[in-house]
Amino acid sequence: MKKFLRKILLADLLEGLWVTLRTQHPKNITTEQYPAVMPKVGERYRGLPRLNTNPENGETLCICCDLCALACPEHLIVVGWERNPETKRKDLVKFTYDTSRCMFCGLCEDACPVDALELTQDFQMASFTREGQIFDREVLEEGTKPTRYKS
Amino acid sequence: MPEEANPGGATEPQKPEETSAQSGGGEPSPPPNEAAPTAPAPSPTPPIEAPAPAAKAPAPAAAKAAVAAAAKPAAPAAPKAPAVMQTTPWEGELVEDLKEEFGERIKEYCTYAGQNFLVSEPGAVIPIIEYLKLEQNFDYLVDITAVDYPAKPERFELIWVLYSFERNQRIRIKTRVKDGEKAVSCVRVHLTADWLEREVYDMFGVEFEGHPNMTRILLPEGWCGFPLRKDKSITDMDNRWVRENVGIESGQ
Amino acid sequence: MAETFLDSTELVLNMGPQHPSTHGVLRVIVKLDGEKVTGTECVIGYLHRGVEKIAENRTYAMFAPYVDRMDYVAAVSNGLGYCLAVERLISCEVPERAQAVRVILTELNRIASHLVWLGTHALDIGALTPLFYCLREREDILNIFEKYCGARLTTHAFRIGGLQYETYEGFEQECLEFCDRLAPRVDEYEELLTENRIWKERLIDVGILNAEDCKAYGVTGPMLRSAGVKWDLRKAQPYSGYEKYDFEIPTRTNGDCYDRYIVRVQEMRQSARIVRQGVGMLAAGPIMGKVAKVLKPPMGEAYVSIEAPKGELGYYIVSDASTQPYRVRVRPPSFINLQSVDKMARGSLVADLIAVIGTIDIVLGEVDR
Repeated sequence: MKKFLRKILLADLLEGLWVTLRTQHPKNITTEQYPAVMPKVGERYRGLPRLNTNPENGETLCICCDLCALACPEHLIVVGWERNPETKRKDLVKFTYDTSRCMFCGLCEDACPVDALELTQDFQMASFTREGQIFDREVLEEGTKPTRYKS
Repeated sequence: MPEEANPGGATEPQKPEETSAQSGGGEPSPPPNEAAPTAPAPSPTPPIEAPAPAAKAPAPAAAKAAVAAAAKPAAPAAPKAPAVMQTTPWEGELVEDLKEEFGERIKEYCTYAGQNFLVSEPGAVIPIIEYLKLEQNFDYLVDITAVDYPAKPERFELIWVLYSFERNQRIRIKTRVKDGEKAVSCVRVHLTADWLEREVYDMFGVEFEGHPNMTRILLPEGWCGFPLRKDKSITDMDNRWVRENVGIESGQ
Repeated sequence: MAETFLDSTELVLNMGPQHPSTHGVLRVIVKLDGEKVTGTECVIGYLHRGVEKIAENRTYAMFAPYVDRMDYVAAVSNGLGYCLAVERLISCEVPERAQAVRVILTELNRIASHLVWLGTHALDIGALTPLFYCLREREDILNIFEKYCGARLTTHAFRIGGLQYETYEGFEQECLEFCDRLAPRVDEYEELLTENRIWKERLIDVGILNAEDCKAYGVTGPMLRSAGVKWDLRKAQPYSGYEKYDFEIPTRTNGDCYDRYIVRVQEMRQSARIVRQGVGMLAAGPIMGKVAKVLKPPMGEAYVSIEAPKGELGYYIVSDASTQPYRVRVRPPSFINLQSVDKMARGSLVADLIAVIGTIDIVLGEVDR
């Protein structure tokens, strides 16, 4: 009898409908209003790369060991260096990172022994040109700048 | 752009059938050095049967000759002995049953990393699979795959992995076929083999006789070449396409 | 006379690679007699990226990120299978803490995969709301992944030998809170669907694959368990410490789409149970085993398989004693499960074909690699 009544009065469908109606309450809204509200990404987020510099004297922390280039599965890091005759150390000349081919796996970040290369929390990676996605040393150290859209 | 430079993997690996030496008694060309622990220090990776206990018995007599012989190849150290998979012989009731049923058609029974496999001749594989399914309860074909060893005359090693729910055991059947030789399809034994064999054909070019639909499955129909072979077919295809369509020589 | 008047020829319909219900780029050529399906043929390969060939040109550690991109919905399982296979080759012991964290993340990943499945399957059948609720739960899981390893989808969470990252502060707390939140939500999904008469009409006795056929077609995972075979690799051949956990294997008997739905929902609950136990088992300790910096496994091969959310995911790695694997073969559960579409859908209606494709839980990244 009970089953018959449940069937006639569409009890199962109404139960499901009640679930849907319950979620209409404002406290159950989970939509994030991007881009008005920026999402908070985790600290370990693997975003755009950055080449860190020493905060005191502004020099690059990179020691040109090439470990990041060796670790990269896509071989997209190119480190150009030259030996400094005075300090006998390697000086960083050129550092190219191709974010268009990067898969943000984090192997370069893991490989760097001095924490010079780091993947930041920057997830807004769009650019207008393909060349704009190949980061040279300047972009890596200072971050991306808004592109001027020439008319 | 292309990842052609492979620093480590350029050496063609040799995997000769010397593993049968462990179950038999015949010694392969590099002499056994297990009685001479100090000698191998300069010579690189002596690929010798460390785990096989049976080989230790005739060792003492051969050891003295071995020490003398081992000292000599250590000096030039030029011909590096080919690395060999260190297998141990596989024994058990199943092996006895298989030996009884198939005798010489199964060449060896080995274990590596705790996993059992047997190497058989190509014609015997389907009877073995049928026997294992009907008599020994290996009712689930897990995978069919192939590996290419271009340096060997029988370049393709085909592998069937079977599993038995009842015994909770996995077994691998391996065989070798030449380029152009057809293997036999096991579709009528296990229905899974349908797409798995098509994939092996697609990637390696090994045809399976008796398969209802031996066509490419992952690559488009007009594709030339077999990608997973260890040759230049992918770069050749790319060069051909660039030459025809763009009119220049490809930079690869 | 009636025959010539109502004569119908066979219609060949192309459910092309771009289709909202094929869960990716799957092309199904359907032969129809009216609305009845008389034959299907799956054409795959639209997402073939040559992952197995790429593996031959990368070192073992470098290849791990590529593996996530096969079954992109449940990336953590792929990584686990690969790391276990390489660890088998190098005979490396993974420390206990690493094993526990691996189990926690893999089970969260299983819940995430089943949530996507449930949402998209319900969407195919016509129930539009469960999708949003499932993705809402999935957001919580992906946030945990993001805080742990830095990425939501292509996680690259595990390394060969253990873990790279220590668990972040609040990891245990968040996992437990998530499990607490999940139970009433799964009840909500069940309230929406399980007793719903439309759902039952669409799914009961549709796409039946009995146990014998499952074994013949090599079908594993929830499909096999819905047919009555109580087999789960986590219990049969435990890996990564699964023998210490107490959980059940949900099985049903009929082997139709409805049973698969029940099995997967129960699996979500069991996974939450495992996560709770895993968090309780987390003890202090090292997270990385002893692994050489330049990994050169000895010459050999190994086939290791795990219970991925979709079935048995296996890795067959052949090593030639160099830094790069000689051959990596991935045994994809979706590829092999997809073969059974023809058997299940023949003789039913087109709408049932959609239900069948959805119930197999395929991810084309894994089918095509």
